[in-house]
Amino acid sequence: MAIDLSQFYQVFFDESAEHLAAMEALLLDLDVENPDPEQLNAIFRAAHSIKGSAGTFGFTDLAETTHILENLLDRIRKQELGLRADMVDAFLETGDLLREMLEAHQGRGVVAPSTVEAVCARLRQLSADAPVAAAAPVAPVNVVTEVAVDGDKIRHLFDIEFVPTAASANGGGVANLLDELGLLGELEIISQPEAGAGDVGFWQLRLSTPAAQDAFAEQIDFVADNGAWRVFEHLASSPEVAQAFGLFDDAPGGPAPDEGYGFFAPLDEPSVRQEPLADGEGYGFFEPLPAVQPTEEAPIGTPDDGEGYGFFAPLPVPVPATACVEEGDGFGFFEPVLLPPAPVVPVAVPDVPQEAPSLAVAEPLVPHRAAKANSATAGAADSSIRVSIEKVDQLINLVGELVITQAMLQQTVEQMQASAPERLVSGLTQLERNTRDLQESVMSIRMLPISFVFSRFPRVVRDLSGKLGKQVELKTSGETTELDKGLIERIADPLTHLIRNSLDHGIELPEARLAAGKSPFGTITLKAYHQGGNIVIEVGDDGAGLPRQKILAKARERGLPVSEQMTDQEVFSLIFEAGFSTAEQVTDVSGRGVGMDVVRRNIQAMGGRVEIESMLGVGTRMTVRLPLTLAILDGMSVAVGNQTYILPLSYVIESLQPLPGEIKTLSNQARVVQVRGEYLPVVVLHEVFNLKSAWTDLTQGIMVVIDADGAKAALFVDALVGQHQVVIKSLEANYRRVLGISGATIMGDGHVALILDVSAIAGMAKSNMQRAG
Amino acid sequence: METMTHGSVAKGEEELVASEYLTFTLGSEEYAIDILKVQEIRGYEQPTLIANAPAFIKGVINLRGIIVPVVDLRIKFNLGKIDYTPFTVVVILNIAGRVIGAVVDSVSDVISLTPAQIRPAPDFSGSFDTKYILGLAAQDSRMMIVTDIERLMTSADMELIDSATE
Repeated sequence: MAIDLSQFYQVFFDESAEHLAAMEALLLDLDVENPDPEQLNAIFRAAHSIKGSAGTFGFTDLAETTHILENLLDRIRKQELGLRADMVDAFLETGDLLREMLEAHQGRGVVAPSTVEAVCARLRQLSADAPVAAAAPVAPVNVVTEVAVDGDKIRHLFDIEFVPTAASANGGGVANLLDELGLLGELEIISQPEAGAGDVGFWQLRLSTPAAQDAFAEQIDFVADNGAWRVFEHLASSPEVAQAFGLFDDAPGGPAPDEGYGFFAPLDEPSVRQEPLADGEGYGFFEPLPAVQPTEEAPIGTPDDGEGYGFFAPLPVPVPATACVEEGDGFGFFEPVLLPPAPVVPVAVPDVPQEAPSLAVAEPLVPHRAAKANSATAGAADSSIRVSIEKVDQLINLVGELVITQAMLQQTVEQMQASAPERLVSGLTQLERNTRDLQESVMSIRMLPISFVFSRFPRVVRDLSGKLGKQVELKTSGETTELDKGLIERIADPLTHLIRNSLDHGIELPEARLAAGKSPFGTITLKAYHQGGNIVIEVGDDGAGLPRQKILAKARERGLPVSEQMTDQEVFSLIFEAGFSTAEQVTDVSGRGVGMDVVRRNIQAMGGRVEIESMLGVGTRMTVRLPLTLAILDGMSVAVGNQTYILPLSYVIESLQPLPGEIKTLSNQARVVQVRGEYLPVVVLHEVFNLKSAWTDLTQGIMVVIDADGAKAALFVDALVGQHQVVIKSLEANYRRVLGISGATIMGDGHVALILDVSAIAGMAKSNMQRAG
Repeated sequence: METMTHGSVAKGEEELVASEYLTFTLGSEEYAIDILKVQEIRGYEQPTLIANAPAFIKGVINLRGIIVPVVDLRIKFNLGKIDYTPFTVVVILNIAGRVIGAVVDSVSDVISLTPAQIRPAPDFSGSFDTKYILGLAAQDSRMMIVTDIERLMTSADMELIDSATE
């Protein structure tokens, strides 16, 4: 029974994207002069993981490109090649290409083969530049071809059965084995243990590979419980071509497994192996690094082994096999994959988190197993599960309903007042607390650290500063600040734009900076933190600052209503107007005047706002404020006529009952109210909404002072009703946008209450004033 | 005229397959709409007003956690007395992925009609907008106005859906 691998494609895509992102982050972090070997290894591992899974899933183009990348990385890692800045660029470019290829496999976009070829050629070129290039012919695209070059090849069909030890199964050993077998050829899982059992149980696999049994027998033995494994070869498998190492098939090629193992594990082999394991780098998986030298010098005399990448392409090249016959020791070096056996757990530990994602490739039970593996290694890294976002949203919806029901019960009991049994009241109090906790926990599932967004910016800054000839350093802080996933996805584009803007318009060229007495290195700071019920993201630069006069002049030119009396804040907000740009010339980075208005619109659509502070010559800081989540809001319910409306609490400053003398009119149209020496425009809600108010005189009701985007206004309402946490429901899902209303919610009594759009209402107040003025 | 009861269903095979229609009354007129567009029928409850909406949009109600706008078709078509009694019903429609409630005087029954039974409506030459009317169907002494409810509810003059420019 073949397992349909396509059901795991999405997991593969997700993981590969993660690996690529990790690789990119590491590359950007890499010190070219003095690269940290640990980082190089991590980059290499990321590439290797992508190659491994790509091979398993049959995305050969990905596997091939990654393979070339991996070769080069490996040589750098082994210090055969010095790292150069152009290599980092090439790697980044390759990363982009791989991402495009992933996208293409997901049906988005197409990758031109010429692009792939260009990148591969560049990597090969870099690899060929090597000082030790003597023995280095251009790396073949993949090892299978190499095998073919080497002579002939045959595909064997092996039936593999084994029962893993509990320790290796829990440590991800089985998944590693499957990965590696997958790399050898086409792997089919015929039967596997029950989902709940981890990997412990009976496994049955079928492997079609050009490799000999010995190539993997040892790995199986490592994983399997005390010899509980068997490999049969189907001789029926039709040979594609005559085969060079038939030797193995004929004589010890189909040996009893134990024999095979004994034969190929000479006594001194462990000592070789101990070496890489002991250095704790955790890349024991791939091959002991010190083995390189012997390999290169090994008198095997095959043309292709000089590269030594046979190690990494886990397809065991026949060459090593021959070597193995000739000198038993050599085999240890050539063993393509060395699974850390269960007893060496301490060494394997660093690899567990690394390898955990790749488990998914092998089987769907990842979360469970990954979690288990981690707990087994004393929580070496954060354990996580992959759950579809729909499930989480459904959960959030259900909890939302629960909160409504709970509020309804609460209200009923409150109406009963003294007649309510005490146990009922205390039970409900308990229920209220529990539902609130539950709601918070559920909401936190959707929360992701903002580093998901921030991590892309080092690249943006690097590329762009290079293009603009500026020297810019990006400093980020508060990456762990958590934000709703929905917001994370939507904030990325506006933030990218703000950063590009800072880079292009904010930071000056190095000469200009020096002339201004500043360091030639510009700094862009990216900061995220919580403030009240909001997330605040700041994009700051130490550049030239916004030229107030220039903006004003430009605004006049465009016929915008401006005056010298406008505050800096108001002037700077003009750059968010559509089509507004003070850039002298349009570059391909920015300056067309589109973008900033889109930024503001996007942020406002998320219920957030953006503010600008700037000082000429010192820098600019743009502050984006976003609500923590899109789903729940702290609201104040107010009565207007016979209706109840919800005011988002974050906008409310205070509420007061005005005295008769405090309300004044302007041109007998607009009304203002004096609050602490400030005249605020009054928005009479029942007039705006055409309702009948209980009051005829404004002094009888309540004024709620709101602050929306720095614009203050006083809302006149009939009464304040209460304060609730409300679940935001969309009004637009079944209806349409209503001016002054941002959404709806369901109150405790099951009725719908509309949520006021404070920004729009403050805007109404402003336009009222302008009309009156 | 052939008998248009169950016999016509069998006869429908050679015509086209008969569809089922829900019939309801608005004032003295009887309307029929495709039953597949109907999600459920429930009693009228006071909706929450939507500010500055046209009079025929009564407001929104909570349908098990979904916010559903309610349209009073009697006001829209200017039919009958507009009062809300315990018998006033709201037909919850599922149209174009949206859920919309329509207030009607009463729901009569479910009938089967073949396309042949739906006669084209006479041309009122502009005095009456017939573009939402699929035709007229007669059964016994009743005349039913077969309405294209989807077209009606998604039309611009119902003001239920944002126009494309939004």
